Amino acid sequence: MNLEAASERSRPVLSSEQDAFEALFKAEYNRVAGIANRVLADAHEAEDVAQEVFIDFHRLHSATAQYAAAWLYRASAHTALNRVRGRRRREKREQAVAHDEAGQALDPQHVAEANEERRRLRTALARLPKKPAEVLVLRSSGLSYAEVAEAIGVSTGQIGTLLRRAEAALRKEVNRESPE
Amino acid sequence: MSHLSDGALRRMFDDPNAVTGTEREHFASCTECKDRFEKTSADATDAARLLAVPAATFDADSAFRRLTAEPGTRSPRFGFRLPVLRQSARRPIAVLAFAVVLAVIATASANVAQIFAPTQVKPVPVSVADLQSLPDLSTYGTFAWSKEPQPQIGVPAATAEQVAGFSAPKTGTLPSGVSTNISYVVVPQAVATFTFSAAKAQAAAAAQGKTLPPMPAGMDGSTLTLTVGPALIEVFGDLPQGSTSDASQLTLPQLIVAESKAPVVTSTGVSATELEDYLLKQPGITPQLAADIKAIGDPTHTLPIPIPVGYATSSDVTVQGVQGVALGDNTGAGAAVVWIKGNVYFVGGTLKQSEVVSIANGLR
Repeated sequence: MNLEAASERSRPVLSSEQDAFEALFKAEYNRVAGIANRVLADAHEAEDVAQEVFIDFHRLHSATAQYAAAWLYRASAHTALNRVRGRRRREKREQAVAHDEAGQALDPQHVAEANEERRRLRTALARLPKKPAEVLVLRSSGLSYAEVAEAIGVSTGQIGTLLRRAEAALRKEVNRESPE
Repeated sequence: MSHLSDGALRRMFDDPNAVTGTEREHFASCTECKDRFEKTSADATDAARLLAVPAATFDADSAFRRLTAEPGTRSPRFGFRLPVLRQSARRPIAVLAFAVVLAVIATASANVAQIFAPTQVKPVPVSVADLQSLPDLSTYGTFAWSKEPQPQIGVPAATAEQVAGFSAPKTGTLPSGVSTNISYVVVPQAVATFTFSAAKAQAAAAAQGKTLPPMPAGMDGSTLTLTVGPALIEVFGDLPQGSTSDASQLTLPQLIVAESKAPVVTSTGVSATELEDYLLKQPGITPQLAADIKAIGDPTHTLPIPIPVGYATSSDVTVQGVQGVALGDNTGAGAAVVWIKGNVYFVGGTLKQSEVVSIANGLR
């Protein structure tokens, strides 16, 4: 193949690659950001994660790749979980402060309980092994068994078992975090 | 029948119809399965409650505008300046070649005064903006061949093997349509030197109104010696006709199989860290490219493979039991795989990536 000719022929292909990426972004952005938000419970940070994930995808993959959506979903869960793991130390420091503030709030008991439950979940998620944590996040974000399976690279038949184990592990971790 | 599996019980929680009739009959009369289902349901309900978040709305259109409009780092890195590639195929090829040289030098410099012996390959994403803004290596010193590459084209296999000093790689089963007629090209060992010149670099930068970081002590006048090859290349099908000196006139064959001795680099007068840091701080090197090269992690034994962002994709593959980099052209024009197992190997052509990897694994 003549490279000059290949370059000429590549014009519509490159253009369609950009169009394909824009279409992919607009089709999947809400879901990708939603997955990150499921982990982070922070819409702004979730959007940061979504942008990071799309940029990373664009750097190395074609928007027309069949695995595009599955890749984005898993990357979003993975990136958000990594951020939660980074947060753990900071939250430990903030925990005492949160308790003090809750004592001065209008409905101190309710606020304190809600904050505490959110904190325990993030800590528990951060402690779970990677795959169970991703399965939980993806499934709770509304992905079907088949979509979760494609995203994490296992067969659909394994998802029920993985979910069961992940939920049991989450319960143990959350209980471990519960106050005596 | 035996009890329902944990997975089946979990599926039942999401969809009672997800189990078979036999499983449903068993469940109806099995207290143990019912107990396990209770626990499964409780855990699933708790997890759903814990993972519930307040509804959030995201605006994909605005997000896309932010992504493409953001000035500075993200936009070029994002690679939406790809149309520049269309102006000519020659410049991208030339700058890509430079990127390879830069990457090899940056990497090889980690092994100052020793034989550089890469044992693995890794991809380094290079955006069009990266390629466009790379500095001209010739402004940093003097490049000279002390032993020029002199390819011998269309020689008999025995001659190629004799010059190369190793046997020609032998392919196994080839995809239908690939010619079994092999033309051999052999490139004897070539040696080049590059001598840094602080005065030359500063003068070139000043002429363009740029300021260079100061050269580390001892770098001015120090010499890198790059030894490449010998390399043996098998071209399946007829050799391209015409001038081989003009890259734009090259015709890509169906399949190329190549084997080469790993590049050897020695350096004098400057430490590996200083040299790499200096090269990556140059005005034309984007922070992202520098970060990607540094992120390789094991520069002493890693040969970086530049991947043009948006123009080709790459993935890690296992070839001949070692890690390699598979490249696939987004245009569908071809695919290739590169790996190092003692020597550096390349298999590529106008084939699907799966076919290329299969050929690579079948090499003897």
